Amino acid sequence: MKKLLLADIKMLLRSKQTLFWSLMFPLMFTFIFGSFFGKGNNSVGTVALINESNTELAKSFDKAARDSGIFTIKDDINVEEAKKLIGKDQLSGAIVIPKGFGEQKPDAPKNIKVVYDPAGQAGRTLIGFTNQFLTAANLEIQQAKPIFSVEEEKTNTKQFGYFDFILMGLIGMALMNSSIQGMSIAMSKYREDKILKRLTTTPLKVWHFIAAEVTSRLLVNVIQVTLILLVGFYMFDAHINGSIFLIYVLALLGALLFQSIGFVIAGLSKTTNAAEGMSTAIAIPMMFLSGVFFPIDQLPKWLYSIVQYLPLAPLLRTMRSVALEDASPFANPSNLILVIVWVVAALIIAAYKFRLADE
Amino acid sequence: MNTVIKVEKLVKEYKGLTAVKGISFEVKKGEIFGLLGENGAGKTTTLEMIEGLRKPTSGEISVLGHNVRNEISEIKERIGVQLQSSAYYNYLTLKEILSLFGSFYTESLDPDDLLKMVDLEEKAGATVNNLSGGQKQRFSIVASLVNDPEIVFLDEPTTGLDPMARRNLWDIITKIKAKGKTIILTTHYLEEAEMLCDRIAIMEKGEILMMGKTHELIESTKNPFKTTFIATSLSKETLKELEGLGEVNELAGKSHHFEMMLKTQVNLNKAIKIVQKLEPESITVGRSTLEDLFIELTGKRIGGE
Repeated sequence: MKKLLLADIKMLLRSKQTLFWSLMFPLMFTFIFGSFFGKGNNSVGTVALINESNTELAKSFDKAARDSGIFTIKDDINVEEAKKLIGKDQLSGAIVIPKGFGEQKPDAPKNIKVVYDPAGQAGRTLIGFTNQFLTAANLEIQQAKPIFSVEEEKTNTKQFGYFDFILMGLIGMALMNSSIQGMSIAMSKYREDKILKRLTTTPLKVWHFIAAEVTSRLLVNVIQVTLILLVGFYMFDAHINGSIFLIYVLALLGALLFQSIGFVIAGLSKTTNAAEGMSTAIAIPMMFLSGVFFPIDQLPKWLYSIVQYLPLAPLLRTMRSVALEDASPFANPSNLILVIVWVVAALIIAAYKFRLADE
Repeated sequence: MNTVIKVEKLVKEYKGLTAVKGISFEVKKGEIFGLLGENGAGKTTTLEMIEGLRKPTSGEISVLGHNVRNEISEIKERIGVQLQSSAYYNYLTLKEILSLFGSFYTESLDPDDLLKMVDLEEKAGATVNNLSGGQKQRFSIVASLVNDPEIVFLDEPTTGLDPMARRNLWDIITKIKAKGKTIILTTHYLEEAEMLCDRIAIMEKGEILMMGKTHELIESTKNPFKTTFIATSLSKETLKELEGLGEVNELAGKSHHFEMMLKTQVNLNKAIKIVQKLEPESITVGRSTLEDLFIELTGKRIGGE
C-alpha cells in the first residue's frame, strides 16, 4: 500500500500533463488576475486629464481625481490625441476642463467634458465621479447643505477586494479541473490500457488501489492550494481573514467531491477520449456558472436558481465566507450539506458504475 | 502427474451469445497446455474465467485445489497472468513496475533477476514506451512472474511479433517451463502450438473440437503422410492415378505446385515413384502438421492475423 502510494505520487509528478494542468495553469490564472486586480488595485483604467483652467475649482477637481484612486491619470496630452487613444482602447476615457472653467464671469464655461467609449467599462464611473464633484461644488456655491444623503452600512467589516474574492474562485477552479479531468482521464486510460484488469489479476485489494490514487492526488491538491495562496499573498497582497487551516480542509473536501465525479465520468465513458470530452463539458460551464470569476447572483433568476446547486457553487460560497468574512463553515450549513450530498451522490453512482474491468 | 487446473462443463453466456459452451479439461503440473483456435473461438474468455476475471455462467473451475468461485484470493497469490495486449504504467521504469507489482504479493522475486531472465537488464531504467514490440511482450511475460507463480497464464504471447521476436519468446517460455512451472497459453499460430505445447485443445465457436498430446493429435489425422512437388508435365492420366492413392491439391497462387495427403506409408511410396517419373523440379516428403489437422477439423485455414 505504501509502495503503491509512493508510485502513484511519482507518476503524478512525472506527468507533464498533470504538472501543467494542476499547477501551472491555475498559477497562470492567479498571476493574470493578480496583475489586474491585486495589490488593492481598484482602478477602472487610465484616464486623460486635460485641465486648461487655472481656477481654484479646477485645481480642486484635479486633486480630487488624482486622490480618488478610482482611475490612473495620464497628463500631457491633448483632446485629439486622447480621442485617438480611446479609439485604440489604450485609454479608458478623458476629462476635459475647458479654459476659464470656474471663473467668476457670466460667460465662463460651466461644463466639464467627459469623453468615453460607450463600449468600455469606465464611462459610467467617470461620469459618476464628475457629477458627484460638481454637485458638491454647486451646493457650496449656493451655500446650501444637502438635505438627503446616503447612510452606509457594511454587512461585513472585513477588508477584502475583488482579487481576494477571485483567489478562492481560482482555488476552486484548480481543484475542480485537476480532480475531475485528472481522475476521469487517468482511470479510463488505465482501463483502456488494461492496467486495471492487470491489477485485478493480483491479490491487490480494490480499495487499496483507490485509496492510493485518491491520497496521491490530494497531496498534489495541497501543493496546488499552497502555491496559489503563496503567489496571491506575496506577489499580489491578497488577504485571508479566516482560518487557513479551514481553507485547506474545505479544499480537500472539494477535491474529494471532484475526484468522485471523476470516477463517475470514468464509469460512464467507454474510452479515454469520451472521458476527456465529458469532463471538459462538465468543468468548463461549471467554472463560469459557479462563481469562480464573478458572483453568480448577477445571472438571470431562472439560471441562478439552477446553478446555485452545482457542486462548485456551495463549495465556493463556504470557502469565501471562511476566507473573506472569517465566518464559521457551519454559519450557513446548507452550503456544507449540499457539498456533502454531492460527495455521497457521486460516490454511490461511482460505486455502481465504475468497474476495474468489464465482465 | 498432479492436476493443477480442472475445468468442468464451463459455460459463459453473454446477452444473446454463448461464448463458451460447456467445455471440460484438465491441466497437469509442469506441462505447457495450449488453447488453440481462431479469434473469437472462446480461448481468452476461458482463460479469464480460470484467472477469476470473468464469472462463469455455469460450471466448475478449480485451480491448485482451490475453487475459483470463492477462493480466488488464494489462487491469485500463486498464479501469474499475462493479458492479451495489456499495457503498463507509463511514468514508471521497468524496475519500478516490477517492484510495485511484487509488493502486491506476500513474496516476490528480485526485479533485477527478472529483467536479466528476459535480457532486459539494460532497460531497467527505461519506461514501457521506450521498448520495441518484442521487448514489451518479454516484459509483459516477466511481469507475470514477479510472485514466482506455480501456474503462468499467457494470452496470445506472440501475436503481432516478427518471426525473430517470436522465436526469442518461445525460448523464454521454454525456460519458464524448465523451472518447473505449469503454463497455459492461447494462440492462433499452429506452428507455435506444435512447437511449444505438450498438450493442446483445439477450440472453435466455444467448443473443444479435439484435445490431446500434440504429436498424437497430428498422428491421428486421416492423412498423416504428405508430399509436395513441382511438376510442369502432369498429365490428366497421371493425376487420376495419383488421386487413387490420396488427396491431391494444386496450391493456390503458385503454378504446377501440388500437395498430396496420404493415409499410409505404402501409398506414399507408390506416389513418390509416380512423381519421380515426371522429373519434378522439386519433391519433398513429410508428415502432416497441426495445420493439416486444423483444416481437416474445421474445413478452413486459420486466420493469420
